[in-house]
Amino acid sequence: MAFLLRSISRSADGREIVRESRVEDNILRIGRDPVCDIRLNDLAVALHHATIELVGEGQLGVSAEMGMTIEIDGNATGFGQIALHAGGDIRVGPFLLRILPTPAGVQDVSIDIERGEDDALSEKVDVGRFALASVMPGKRPIAWVSALAILAIFLAWPIWSFYQGRTEAGRYAQAYHADRLWLSGSLSRGHASLGDNCQACHVQPFVSVRDEACAACHVGIHDHADPRRLAQASPNLSGLRRLQMRVGTWLGQDPGRCVDCHTEHEGPQQIPPTPQRFCADCHGDLRARLPDTRLAGASDFEDSHPEFQPLVLISWNGEQPLLERVPLNRHPREMSNLKFPHALHLDPRGGAAQMGRRLRGRHGFGDSLVCADCHVPTPDGTRFQPPDMEGDCGMCHSLAFDAIDGTIRTLRHGSPAQVIGDLRALYRAGGPQRPVELSAGARARPGDVAQIRAAVQYARARAGIGSRADRAIRGVFSQGGACFDCHEVVQPPAGSLNYGIRPIAFPTRYMLHGWFDHRDHQIMQRPGQPRLEGPAACAGCHRAPASNSSRDLLLPNLASCRDCHGGETTRLPVASTCAMCHDYHMDQGTPAMLLRQRVRGRRWETTAIPVHLGPPPPAAARQ
Amino acid sequence: MATRGIERTDLGDGSVSHEGFLRHRNYRWLKIAASLSLIALVGYALIDVQPRPNGGSWYGYLLGTIGAGLILWLTALGVRKRAMTRRKWSLKAWTSAHVYLGLSLIVIATLHSGFQFGWNIHTLAYALMMAVILSGTYGIWAYAFLPARLSDNRSEMTGAQMIDAVASIDKQIQISAQPLSDEDSAIVLGSLGEDPFGGGLYRRLAGSGSRGANAAGLKLLRRRLAQSQGAEALALDQVAVLMQRKAGALNRIRRHVRIRAMLEIWLFVHVPLTFALIAALSAHIVSVFFYW
Repeated sequence: MAFLLRSISRSADGREIVRESRVEDNILRIGRDPVCDIRLNDLAVALHHATIELVGEGQLGVSAEMGMTIEIDGNATGFGQIALHAGGDIRVGPFLLRILPTPAGVQDVSIDIERGEDDALSEKVDVGRFALASVMPGKRPIAWVSALAILAIFLAWPIWSFYQGRTEAGRYAQAYHADRLWLSGSLSRGHASLGDNCQACHVQPFVSVRDEACAACHVGIHDHADPRRLAQASPNLSGLRRLQMRVGTWLGQDPGRCVDCHTEHEGPQQIPPTPQRFCADCHGDLRARLPDTRLAGASDFEDSHPEFQPLVLISWNGEQPLLERVPLNRHPREMSNLKFPHALHLDPRGGAAQMGRRLRGRHGFGDSLVCADCHVPTPDGTRFQPPDMEGDCGMCHSLAFDAIDGTIRTLRHGSPAQVIGDLRALYRAGGPQRPVELSAGARARPGDVAQIRAAVQYARARAGIGSRADRAIRGVFSQGGACFDCHEVVQPPAGSLNYGIRPIAFPTRYMLHGWFDHRDHQIMQRPGQPRLEGPAACAGCHRAPASNSSRDLLLPNLASCRDCHGGETTRLPVASTCAMCHDYHMDQGTPAMLLRQRVRGRRWETTAIPVHLGPPPPAAARQ
Repeated sequence: MATRGIERTDLGDGSVSHEGFLRHRNYRWLKIAASLSLIALVGYALIDVQPRPNGGSWYGYLLGTIGAGLILWLTALGVRKRAMTRRKWSLKAWTSAHVYLGLSLIVIATLHSGFQFGWNIHTLAYALMMAVILSGTYGIWAYAFLPARLSDNRSEMTGAQMIDAVASIDKQIQISAQPLSDEDSAIVLGSLGEDPFGGGLYRRLAGSGSRGANAAGLKLLRRRLAQSQGAEALALDQVAVLMQRKAGALNRIRRHVRIRAMLEIWLFVHVPLTFALIAALSAHIVSVFFYW
């Protein structure tokens, strides 16, 4: 038998070139080696790749060498058979060996040998592969995927969570919400706990934060003024500010909202001090827009601030004190009904100082009396408790009028009728005994004068038992008597001895709309002057040592403060904005600015104990 | 392509020599964009926004509106570039404005942010915008310098010629390697199978240098050459010379691919990120007014 080999190749224009050869053998060796019967010039073919031989009647066996593979009719294999009458394809490397069907009885087996199409080569000629686009996903898919992902995560999800929160309000405040992705900045420290609950303030979508949302928690905040008057007082805005406000109003942001000043999402910080301009815009020339206002214009503490107008007790309507705000430059007099000359008590060489030295052991006085001996600070240190007779005056001023077995009887302070009754009882019992210090009725006072006076009174009292009581009563309520020296005495009706005492009252707070903290002024030094401490510091502002009348209102005036306190920008030692003494949300507490600087906590009300004059409590004095 | 070495022709008075988009009209758009940025900066310095500058102040809204408008206009270049026109609003003028106004966005958007950044949609939009601008800046650099390198590398050859060069060397190797043993031919076969375009984005950008099956095969073959003698050594030597030549041709293709990748990569950032930016910008704007 013989194999008829037809080697087919193609010219550049596709024409077939066929080379025929004949191998007279039963076995065909296929490989790259020149000695092979079928030589296949390709490195993918081994030197000796496979063998074809006749294995039986009409059957060709095809076997690959060790480690080689061939494809028989499309199946990769190492060995296979092909029926001669049917023919078959053998692929060796890139070559196709087509065994043509051989009719029975024909001895020659025809094999066409052809090199297959080289796909790889044609792929390599693809110039498009130089472009980066050949290995990248398209720009459009990347754009779509990333844009949709961003919209889904950062827009749709937060909006979904917003509406989810409305249906599950109870659990909402605790869990994570996608709207946190919108958080433009941390909340201030005070609001930090609301970080997960955007809806606490942002109640309605596309509606800016309303005051009601703030008031839901901040229930005790006072308005600055009646909103109508506030609007009327607003300054004439510049064109830009007016446009701003108009645009804001058009967009639903009415001016004067809480958030106008209390801006949020500015990081975990304290609310910064209010700038002076914030107040001065309206208050600089308030009267121009609010003609009926009682507030004088103020725009800078150093340059433009009215004189202080403390609340002064100017007179009485019967038992009711009449209080009025009077500017200090009108030199108001304080009609407290108390007689107390500060100068007499503070004179280091006077009788009060002498008595203080004598009572040093009992009350801890110094060489002379000082402010702190009578004026006790409130627990917060800001202000002072009102002095009281028993605790403060009573250290020196005794009301003793009798002594029984070592027990000293005192006149009842605060009740003139009781005093009269006690004195009558004393004389009805059999005349006066020699009192502890000569006399019972008179106040014990240092110095010989008092003793002489007591002796005279005692002598008078002894002059006649019947009229002695009357005389003692008159003595107590008259000049030189125990009550008269400190109190305004109401003379009795003719034929009666029912003396009365005018009530005493002081305003608990003189500066109603300002704040003054005594603690900060315990050490004082005006520019160019020595540093003052203790009583000297008090006297640095309050001219008590020179005051001979308790009607002197010992409040320092504006000029006194201006020695140290200037405006927002100043060359004086203390730059003072409005917010140092005043608060936008008026109440009696500390201004928010000081509060934030110092105590970082609750706003406190005054701890001064208000004076009650008995029913009814005077409303004005409690302001 | 083959334009290197041509001196700039002096076309005489009245003729227009080439003026790139960067220098268009004596840097007109550079001046406009710089003025815009300067005005924004001066406004930022002078306007006292309390308690501190932020996007929610009136000035913040103003800058934000300008910025958003600019972003949308800059994006429109993608449409505009498909129509080349001359004169005042020529495509060159647009491109010049695109570049300089795009750069001014760095100032405008940063001032809009008030330097307040965080892990939120607002900063995401800002970061995307900066990424787009940076990729654009890179694109300007790439377009200015890489085409020359591309041209140098190709040595007057076209892409198809470069591929053909490899293919023709491959054919010669195929022929020369016929006498080699099965082990040696396996090495050569590896070289023939090497795809110079193989590898993804990173491989293309990093450039595979002289690595690859051909280079490795060449090394092995040289070692074999040292051990062999006679006819085998002759055949091996011939194949090695061819493979050496092929290495040169492959490297040229690889360098070409690398420079092309460097030239084109920025658009794969610039364009898709622009759309991501517009999505983030929309979310930013909606969120601001949703939670007003």
